[in-house]
Amino acid sequence: MTLLDRNENDMAVVTSARTGAKKRTSHRRVDKTFYAFLLPGLVLFTLAITLPAVMGIFYSFTNSVGFGEFSFTGFINYIALFSDPSIRSAYGFTIGFALVTVAVVNAVAFLLAIGLTARIRAKVAMRAVFVLPMVVSGIVIAYAFNFLFSNSIPAAANALGFGPLESSLLANPNWAWVAIVIVTAWQAIPSTILIYIAGILAIPSDVYEAAALDGASAGRQLRSITVPLTAGYILINVIIGFKNFLNSYDIIVGLTNGGPGTSTTSIAMSIFQGFTNGDYAYQMANATIFFLIAIVIALLQLRTTRGRASL
Amino acid sequence: MNPKPPLPVPGLSRRSFLIGAGALGAGFALAGCAAPGGSASGVTEISFYVSKPEVIGYFDTLIAKFHKSQARVRVVRDSTSNMSADFVRNSPPDLGCWNYNFSVVEFVERGALSDLGDMPEAATINPDIKPLLKETADYPGRTSAIPYSLTAASVLYNKDLFTKYGVAVPTTYDDLVAACETFQKAGIAPFFNTYKDTWTIAQGLFDYTIGGMVDVPDFFKRLRAEGTKVDAASSVSFQKDFRSAMDRMVQLGSYANKNAASRGYGDGNLAFAKGEAAMYLQGPWALNEIAKTNAKMNVGTFPLPVTNDPKDLKVRVNVDLALWIPEASKKKEAARSFLSFLMQPEIQNTYNADNNAFGTTKNAPPTTNPALVGMQKYYDDAAFYLGASQIIPSEIPVANYAQSIALGSKPEPVLRQLDGDWSRLALRS
Amino acid sequence: MSTQIPLATSTATGELAGTDADSVTTRRAGGRGERVNWPVTIVLIICSLAILVPLYVTLTMAFKTTSQAVDGNAFSLPAPFSVDGFVQAWNLTTFPRSFAISIGVSALTVVGTIILSSFAAFAISRNWNRRFFRWSFYYLLAALFLPFPVVALSQVKLTGLVHLDNPLGVAILHIMFQLGFSVLLFTAFLRSIPDELEESARLEGATTGQVFWQLIFPLLAPMSATVGIFAFLASWNDFVMPSLITSNPALQTLPVLQQIFQTQFSNNYNVSFASYLMAMAPAILVYLFTQRWVMAGVTQGAIK
Repeated sequence: MTLLDRNENDMAVVTSARTGAKKRTSHRRVDKTFYAFLLPGLVLFTLAITLPAVMGIFYSFTNSVGFGEFSFTGFINYIALFSDPSIRSAYGFTIGFALVTVAVVNAVAFLLAIGLTARIRAKVAMRAVFVLPMVVSGIVIAYAFNFLFSNSIPAAANALGFGPLESSLLANPNWAWVAIVIVTAWQAIPSTILIYIAGILAIPSDVYEAAALDGASAGRQLRSITVPLTAGYILINVIIGFKNFLNSYDIIVGLTNGGPGTSTTSIAMSIFQGFTNGDYAYQMANATIFFLIAIVIALLQLRTTRGRASL
Repeated sequence: MNPKPPLPVPGLSRRSFLIGAGALGAGFALAGCAAPGGSASGVTEISFYVSKPEVIGYFDTLIAKFHKSQARVRVVRDSTSNMSADFVRNSPPDLGCWNYNFSVVEFVERGALSDLGDMPEAATINPDIKPLLKETADYPGRTSAIPYSLTAASVLYNKDLFTKYGVAVPTTYDDLVAACETFQKAGIAPFFNTYKDTWTIAQGLFDYTIGGMVDVPDFFKRLRAEGTKVDAASSVSFQKDFRSAMDRMVQLGSYANKNAASRGYGDGNLAFAKGEAAMYLQGPWALNEIAKTNAKMNVGTFPLPVTNDPKDLKVRVNVDLALWIPEASKKKEAARSFLSFLMQPEIQNTYNADNNAFGTTKNAPPTTNPALVGMQKYYDDAAFYLGASQIIPSEIPVANYAQSIALGSKPEPVLRQLDGDWSRLALRS
Repeated sequence: MSTQIPLATSTATGELAGTDADSVTTRRAGGRGERVNWPVTIVLIICSLAILVPLYVTLTMAFKTTSQAVDGNAFSLPAPFSVDGFVQAWNLTTFPRSFAISIGVSALTVVGTIILSSFAAFAISRNWNRRFFRWSFYYLLAALFLPFPVVALSQVKLTGLVHLDNPLGVAILHIMFQLGFSVLLFTAFLRSIPDELEESARLEGATTGQVFWQLIFPLLAPMSATVGIFAFLASWNDFVMPSLITSNPALQTLPVLQQIFQTQFSNNYNVSFASYLMAMAPAILVYLFTQRWVMAGVTQGAIK
């Protein structure tokens, strides 16, 4: 998602700085036109987002399948939920997957960003290539990779006599998640790179000049200058990435559809599947829990970013 | 790209941007208008849902025929809607033609399907088939669906390979294992399995081994009686009653093609048609697909022996297609007229003959397909069962569980999970 | 909705945003080609294979015949060169119609997002000291924390109820999910526009509406472009929302059709890849032409 908290903080700072100027106008009556500007968005938003969220919570206390007859069941769905190993494993998979992917994406993107800001040939073309995956639809690229994993790579491994890859990665319950990490990273690295490039370019070049004069090696410069001075960007990328990966769905649909077995079923997937399987109310309870977790993460994010007000 | 400041001059770019967007919007509006057919007066348009990929084209020709026979009702086929979503938004198809299994349970049991009991077609149904429907899902006092096509599934085998290696059709488990050994020694995969598509495991190895060892309807009857607590201690449970069948499933799985894990249904049809394996655990719906690759293939069928008593041999049946009309349909009469059209003996029987299925009416003719002859005897003796995977409610991802076992998970924890899922589901529904 | 494209605020100036900034930022290394870091260039070229190879496979597979496509060797060149896959995919997925629908949904999303969120942002930023507007801002932002699965199923029910279970409904929901993010961008941008400009316009008797349309909205153009590109990419590539909301499969967008036809493609890999390619190509083309804006959008965000 976004850096809204940072911006929120900025906003707070800025507005407090501006209150002096604004005070002047504050006792003036609000021009009604402003309501006309705000309300369409606000009303639609309430109908399209807030109302469904409330409805979902309501249904989580019933045994509804989404249509037809239903009755209230109190907290039964929640009780069943907490004792359900498949729900637990969906949370375990999703969180583990999100952590690994965040680490992979950020490590790779950071290194690529350093490369892309170095004195390289064909820089513009190179950046264009590295950003390209960002604009490709997740499910489409997942289907293309599905073919590579199921057919091409095993065929190539067979020809080369390379045992471990002769069977499809997607069919291995213990390793299929790796394929999902690869494709997710493939798609998520570009935007991460762009943010890192911005961070690296923001470092004044005289800092490097001074370091070079002091005889600091490239590795030393990376450790002592680039990483610390882009720490804020790293934090942002980690948080954005983690939030996005928790919602993973399309790439998994295209690669494993939650399998083999149920080994790569994400939270989002279990919620959507429950819907097609007539488990509406139960999965609404799941969604409610997921929402609570999202709120906790959001609050954590607010705290962390507040601590780093100056990027 | 040539260097240019990233912030362009405001006015111009905004206008061109909006004009462009407006033009696109207009194009969209036109496309939107052009899409659904206009409603000519006096004609009722009904939506007809049939998603079985093998027969979509077949039903298109039936629809064309129906349009020729009358001018009052027009049928629009839909093969891709999300059925649950359609019911949730209260806009289900006017006539459904779908598997009658776990996927319709909720529709039936929440009373979302209308009663067809008053239709003359309901009276023509073979009474032997009614228990199969009831076993799957039932709404008291209603005929929620009219069965259209019944398929019997067992092992498809390559007769030429069996002859070539002197293997007789096995009737006991030991014979089957011996046959597998023979083929394996000859460098031919005994089974071609397609674990990538979970449903193929559920309907194949999983259902066949269970159906061959467990009295399926009785098992589920007793399981339902257990209530909300099914575990190792209860008198009946997945972990107790399915255990030995799952062991057989694991053992037979070891005779599958090496790349089974990454193969799907399409790959399986292709490979079996090319003679890459001796046996293929698929239903008759695969026969026409196989024929596309190898029209002259010599295919036979036999029930999978899972015990050493030939008396236990049974074939798996399922109500492959059943017709139903949702309560929410506003065009029930028109839907009924198309239903009656489809149920005319010459149309229904032709469909079932063409698609290697069995009829559902009292006077449906027997099957004539030589490939299915191996199953006729069992079918006539009612030595058949509904696949366990068809009865387990859709809230439980049993096909995925079957896939776990096929791919090497130990059966015990998986069956334990099934017990747990069953209990939790009983608790909350 | 999984691809919300992130945005970074940067303290750096606008110059770093575009690729064109590179000539400036190539740290004082005199002319082009001088002291090129070849090892890094080579490593990057090798890394770029990870991106180019899958795209190459997509391209070549699409031009193969069915029998060549099925042989499993994804890396070979098409021989013979065949457009059969495209013809079949074109007909099977009714490409022109689904393309028009995808474009329509994306265009509505882009226009709707820009208009609604700039409206809201204008109202909010000019009345920040009023509780109602400030809280509205936080309220809209809350959507950024709301995982789509939480509301999806109820949205299916509701859109069905009001007969918006079609591309129009999808576009409206896309706009709503873009709203928080876009209001955030616009609000941040509006802060950078000095009050004096507006004050003087008002002194000349302009109404709030006139101030917005004649003064503010034109000034917002660069941010509108950024917001629009994000809205386009999110909408064009979205799979889950249309797949759930649109009831009539004939009105589905391109990504959803890939999933719908995945089983029907069966082993005709050339057909499936031709179809993938046709679904990808428009976004790639848009990207090639708006590259600078995309990159600027991600890195630049709120300029100040």
